[in-house]
Amino acid sequence: MRVLVVEDEKVLRESLVEQLKEAGFNVDAAADGEEGLYCGREFALDLAIIDLGLPKLPGLELIRKLRAESKKYPILILTARDRWQDKVEGLQAGADDYVAKPFHFEELHARMQALLRRSGGWAQPVLRCGPVALDSRTQEVTVDGKRIELTSFEYRILEYLIHRAGEVISKTELTERLYAQDFDRDSNTIEVFIGRLRRKLDPDDTIKPIETLRGRGYRFALQRESG
Amino acid sequence: MPTRSLSTRLLASVSILLIIFFGITIVLLDLLFRDLSDRAMRERLELQLRTLISASEEDPKAGLAPALDRIEPRFSNPGSGLYGEILRNDGYPAWRSDSLAGTGLEFAAQLKAGEKKYHEVHSGDGSVAFSLSMGIEWEFNNKKTRLFVFSVAESLEPYYAQLDRFRVQLFGGFAVVMLLLLGTLAILLRRLLSPLRRVEQEIEAVEAGELTEVGTGYPRELLGITTNLNALLTSERERLARYRNTLGNLAHSFKTPLAVMRNLLNSSAASDLTIARQLDEQVGRMDDIVKYQLKRAAASGGTGLGTAPVVVSDALEALRGALLKVYIERNLHCELQVDEGCVYFGDHGDLTEIAGNLLDNAFKWARTKIRLTAQRTSKPTGRRDGLTLIVEDDGPGIPATEHGHVLERGARLDERVSGQGIGLSVVRELVQLNGGVVTIGTSDLGGAHIEVRLPPV
Repeated sequence: MRVLVVEDEKVLRESLVEQLKEAGFNVDAAADGEEGLYCGREFALDLAIIDLGLPKLPGLELIRKLRAESKKYPILILTARDRWQDKVEGLQAGADDYVAKPFHFEELHARMQALLRRSGGWAQPVLRCGPVALDSRTQEVTVDGKRIELTSFEYRILEYLIHRAGEVISKTELTERLYAQDFDRDSNTIEVFIGRLRRKLDPDDTIKPIETLRGRGYRFALQRESG
Repeated sequence: MPTRSLSTRLLASVSILLIIFFGITIVLLDLLFRDLSDRAMRERLELQLRTLISASEEDPKAGLAPALDRIEPRFSNPGSGLYGEILRNDGYPAWRSDSLAGTGLEFAAQLKAGEKKYHEVHSGDGSVAFSLSMGIEWEFNNKKTRLFVFSVAESLEPYYAQLDRFRVQLFGGFAVVMLLLLGTLAILLRRLLSPLRRVEQEIEAVEAGELTEVGTGYPRELLGITTNLNALLTSERERLARYRNTLGNLAHSFKTPLAVMRNLLNSSAASDLTIARQLDEQVGRMDDIVKYQLKRAAASGGTGLGTAPVVVSDALEALRGALLKVYIERNLHCELQVDEGCVYFGDHGDLTEIAGNLLDNAFKWARTKIRLTAQRTSKPTGRRDGLTLIVEDDGPGIPATEHGHVLERGARLDERVSGQGIGLSVVRELVQLNGGVVTIGTSDLGGAHIEVRLPPV
């Protein structure tokens, strides 16, 4: 999942980026509103975290501009101004949720997870497709109730695919969303990981969770059960 | 008295002054008139007396009698009001005018020669006359002298009638003049005070939020007040805006470091240390204190002079939309009932803050349903309607024993149980600053029923 952090306070931004990376996100960071607008426009994002008090371009304006350009990804406001009027304005401008400073990372993370789930059309924290279940809180994956051990990157690919279950997702999209900018974008790597995932989820090749659509990408093919 | 209007006061004082002034004038004029009439009567009597004396001739019967053709004919007409008498010093009347017949008038008895005496005489039938008597030493042709008392009297009735007429005219005249004066004064006052009435109307409009400031074009005497009032309104609005901005910046510049601290304390390197957890708790307390105090300080708590009243339904609808968005996963139903034409005379931020905190709590605790009601209250003498906000939910509610406690919390932040929000105490503070009260009860939905009453003023 690719996340943009727009926060002008350097220490907070850096520590946030650090924690988000640890949590398995692909993180872009911007230090002011204009940079934020550039990143928000150009990158294929899954979520943006935007501070309201930004230099150059205020956070509210940034949100309005992104929404005016039909950027649909969820936006989470990070704000020190926690008067209700500010919150309402932020939500009316197009944000989806807010977290007031100072915050606990766990809370921010939980809110992000909820927003990401919702943007994928999931209402519950446990994403179920047929026998496969992914718990976004504990990052556990089970097939028919049996726990599957995944590496962090395998989990991130599966999480992305299940989030958008039923949709076709190109290799480029997967690379963009899951790898940091400077990563060597070799599409073969993705193929390798998809192969490993298939073997782990479906060792007997019976449920066929991930479809390959030649020339177009991948699709998580199992029927959604919850949400 | 202090509630009576300026023009009423002025008219009342002027009326009292006029009554006193006219009263004194009337008394003086009355005195003057009576004095003049008195003198005129004395002169007339004197003249009649002299005529009587000079017309008197020796009379063989009684000694003296006037030649009737040389005195006023009224002496001879009964009831004419002019009377005469010549009295001998032995008490025998030498001559009595015919007009005296039946009146029973008695003149002064004995007088020395040359002595004059005026006095009022009462007749038997109750009429009053004014008389002049004079003692005259008459020398007869035979050189003998004898003392006679010559008296004339005139009935006072015509005088009284005249006095009454005069008084009626005097009072009537003055009453007309006074009414005219007061009427003119009232009209003048209306014109003079019309700028004041305009100020009053414009201030009312400012209060109602129809105008942002008082207009121009006032007379010089009022310009000081109106310009200063406008300056005050402007500076008050600017002050509040500046204040809020400063507080916002303060919150921002204070909370970002707090956020940094919290993040560092929660980083993997520190999260295992007990001291990091304790510090994190302190960060939370600092945040609460800042939040609480800043929200209190940022409250306008006032009239919102010159700002348009807040349309309650719009403000609440926006809040409801925002909260439904945030709590979308809870799948709650939020019913909104707002009275027609419901407005809040105050600051938009205050209303949003009060309703936002209450609704946020309701969204947190409700199982399925929330009801938000806004009612308009008014009183006959009120200039502005009041507002009652009721937030209900079907959650677990607040136990009766906690009702007072929940609202008191926040007054002593350090006593707070961690994990409980400061929402309700912020609401209580804001409501109190706006002159209202908060009550907690149980809703028929099953959960908490929190009512905020901002009374009409």
